[in-house]
Amino acid sequence: MGEFEPKIVGFLCNWCSYTGADLAGTSRIQYPPNIRVIRVMCSSSVDPIYVVRALMEGADGVLIGGCHPGDCHYINGNYKARRRVVLLKNILKTMGLEEERVWIRWVSASEGQKFADTVTEMVDTIKKLGPNPIPTRWDI
Amino acid sequence: MEGMILVKDGDIASGCNELFKGFLTSGRIEALLISRETPNGKMAFPALISDPEKLGSNILSPILPVSEASEISRMTINKGSDKPIGVVIRPCQVRALTEIVKLNQANLENIVVISMDCPGTMDVNTFSNMPEGKVPTDIIMDHLLNGTDIDQYLRSSCRTCKDPVPVNADITIGLFGVDLGSGFLVQAHTESGERLLEGVKLEAYKGEREKALAEVRGGKDAKREAFISSKKEIKGIEAIADFYDKCVNCHNCMNACPICYCKECIFNSSVFDSDANKYVHRAKNKGIMKMPDGALLFHITRMNHMILSCVECGLCEQACPSNIPLMDLLIPVAENAQKELDYYPGKDPDEKLPMVVFREDEYRSVGEK
Ligand code: SF4
Ligand code: SF4
Ligand code: SF4
Ligand code: FES
Repeated sequence: MGEFEPKIVGFLCNWCSYTGADLAGTSRIQYPPNIRVIRVMCSSSVDPIYVVRALMEGADGVLIGGCHPGDCHYINGNYKARRRVVLLKNILKTMGLEEERVWIRWVSASEGQKFADTVTEMVDTIKKLGPNPIPTRWDI
Repeated sequence: MEGMILVKDGDIASGCNELFKGFLTSGRIEALLISRETPNGKMAFPALISDPEKLGSNILSPILPVSEASEISRMTINKGSDKPIGVVIRPCQVRALTEIVKLNQANLENIVVISMDCPGTMDVNTFSNMPEGKVPTDIIMDHLLNGTDIDQYLRSSCRTCKDPVPVNADITIGLFGVDLGSGFLVQAHTESGERLLEGVKLEAYKGEREKALAEVRGGKDAKREAFISSKKEIKGIEAIADFYDKCVNCHNCMNACPICYCKECIFNSSVFDSDANKYVHRAKNKGIMKMPDGALLFHITRMNHMILSCVECGLCEQACPSNIPLMDLLIPVAENAQKELDYYPGKDPDEKLPMVVFREDEYRSVGEK
């Protein structure tokens, strides 16, 4: 069996991180192919249900990408998203469900390199963590 | 304004009834929402009573079959009352009411909130299937008078009650720190509370109320802490999956919860509607898939949507047909989450709900490393 390749689901904000990811691509910046990107209109539109569902259906990690503080297209969506992630991680932690698999990061439309670095860092971290055990239970 | 209402033969229930009767006959309130035992005496429900002759409630009757806060929401969500209505509800329900007002699910206009020191309540089935010769109210009275341990009869949320003393009520019926042989304490905390008590004959209260409250609260806090640390092993996917093993996705817990109010819960919506091909595709993921799926997803999502406002009333657990001890996880999760977001549900009506607050300079370590 080859090395464990984590599956990462990325919910990326249309106005920043998604464009940043696009820029990484068009600038031919190398980053691991482990991320599956879902474009959303704002980091605040990612209800925890989608993050948890991804973790149950086989994702090893979930990345939420939003605009930098002060830059959200909808003024304060990213602050609300951050609080939601704080809450989600806290709940997962109490349940012993590896909150380290959920990330939220700020990547602007011009930060192609930062997007690539973030994905690289995340893939390395999740590789060390190992496969997500949640999907091993079929009866959840 | 505060004072004792003296009663004959330690009959607190009748004394309270007389007081409430006065509220109705004086015309200061149009109706009273209060728990009332059903004719067979084996159940009690909140009842909206307009005729003083139909009173006959037993305030000590230890049962909370449904959320009283939800019933106030049902009455007032579309339009507040034009005339004053009294509601007699337990402390956890006052907390729940405070939260659902913030969630725009209830209107307190002309609502006078009366609450009481709460000795705890029993599960519906414990209450209605008492062994021969045992009377729920006597068990409560014995506890109040002699300090008898009655934990075996109480719901887990009541054994570990977050706060059995009302906060944010207009009127409190005081039972702790009170010589119940002679009567009970009444306190008005607001103008509308005082208006209702006008003309009621109150005797001076001689007792150590603050000390008694600190004792009761301290006792509950210690039990709650011990409860939380005894549940530490429910951690990790194996333990968590086992914990919810009996869940049949009926969503009764959500329907019973005063905080879960969404008219169309995402779990009852078409968001995850699918078709046979997609089901087979998902089955192929793991080679096997439980039907119906999504029990754990439901519980974790529900927590994310409401845990910061969870008042630990335990009505979810009471409603579960599979007898899952839901509080075993909800209390630790609520404790940690509310600490993290620095929020105590039901405490301050003017404090904003944490999920509508946004600040640039906070939780930096979560957004950026
Ligand atoms: S949770 Fe507390 S306030 Fe609510 S019924 Fe139980 S003891 Fe009373
Ligand atoms: S989750 Fe359960 S304990 Fe918490 S408020 Fe809702 S019904 Fe009460
Ligand atoms: S009431 Fe019990 S069985 Fe029904 S959804 Fe809630 S936990 Fe599951
Ligand atoms: S628009 Fe990018 S985070 Fe809100």
